[in-house]
Amino acid sequence: MWVVAENDHESADMSIQEQGISVPSASSSARFLIVTISGRYLALDTGSVEGVLTITELESDEDPAIQGVIDRTVSLVMQLGGSDVSTHPTTRVVMLADREMRGSIRVNEVHGILEIQQSQILPLPPQFSGVERDWYRGMILFEKSIAMILNPTWVLQMHAGSDAVQERETPRSSVDTWAIGVSNGRTC
Amino acid sequence: MLRTGETGKREATHSPWNFVVFSIGGRRLAVKTLEVAGISPWKPSIPVGSRTPFITSVVRQDQAILPVFDLASFLRLHVQGNHPLCLRIKHPLGDMVMCIDEEMPVLHTLDPAAIQAYRGKDISAEGSYANGLDEIPILALSQLGSCMK
Repeated sequence: MWVVAENDHESADMSIQEQGISVPSASSSARFLIVTISGRYLALDTGSVEGVLTITELESDEDPAIQGVIDRTVSLVMQLGGSDVSTHPTTRVVMLADREMRGSIRVNEVHGILEIQQSQILPLPPQFSGVERDWYRGMILFEKSIAMILNPTWVLQMHAGSDAVQERETPRSSVDTWAIGVSNGRTC
Repeated sequence: MLRTGETGKREATHSPWNFVVFSIGGRRLAVKTLEVAGISPWKPSIPVGSRTPFITSVVRQDQAILPVFDLASFLRLHVQGNHPLCLRIKHPLGDMVMCIDEEMPVLHTLDPAAIQAYRGKDISAEGSYANGLDEIPILALSQLGSCMK
């Protein structure tokens, strides 16, 4: 498993561990895939991540199910602002699933999997009173910044109205499979 | 609360009011000292794509994540200076921060008798006081939240 940080271990890279807010409890841990879109850290619950592939890998995959997921690539630019993720052969695509909905998002960078305690998930401040409350499930202190936890239901519902639900096997059994193949020197 | 009678004068008490006077876009504003949680150098905010008017980003201060109220945009002004400051204020919903001019805020003590109703309509204020020809509004921070919605 490729894990960029766990609360039980020291890590020079991760200021998240400075919190010391909660008593570690294995039963209340949560795992997130940390990605960057337009310079912003976003966190995706690994339970909703089916896999991560590059554009090249996606295009070479003849599995019609994967092609269907590519067709349902969601751009978050309109909602989150910033510039769209450019499409290069090495651009990574995160495939998401939530209940029977499936889709994908292009990301600028994949940082790895972060395991934290549920108590370390910070709620969106109540001053945010608009539709953004549906977009995020909370926030995580990450490095010297924060990562917003994306609500996969919201992301995938952007396509739910136009696409038929496609039942299929997942393109990769889990995000763990993808993680093994990725190395950017941040593994710990 | 301030009396809003024709005289525009608050009933005199013997307790002076303490304010922090700061500026945004060169315009001077005041908040009650008790409602100020801190002042620090401004760090770049993190946009969250919010649709809440004037609250579209957050800043991280140590282990806290605080919403940013864009008072400059609210007042249609631009923060001045290359080294703006971060004014952390206490709000009923939780602390918020505002980006203010780099000009160092000053403490100001005022006799309550000098406080009058704010005549402007551009921002919620608990009152104001005269500073030469300027009328300095004393921000009603709790109502800033209600006008965001």
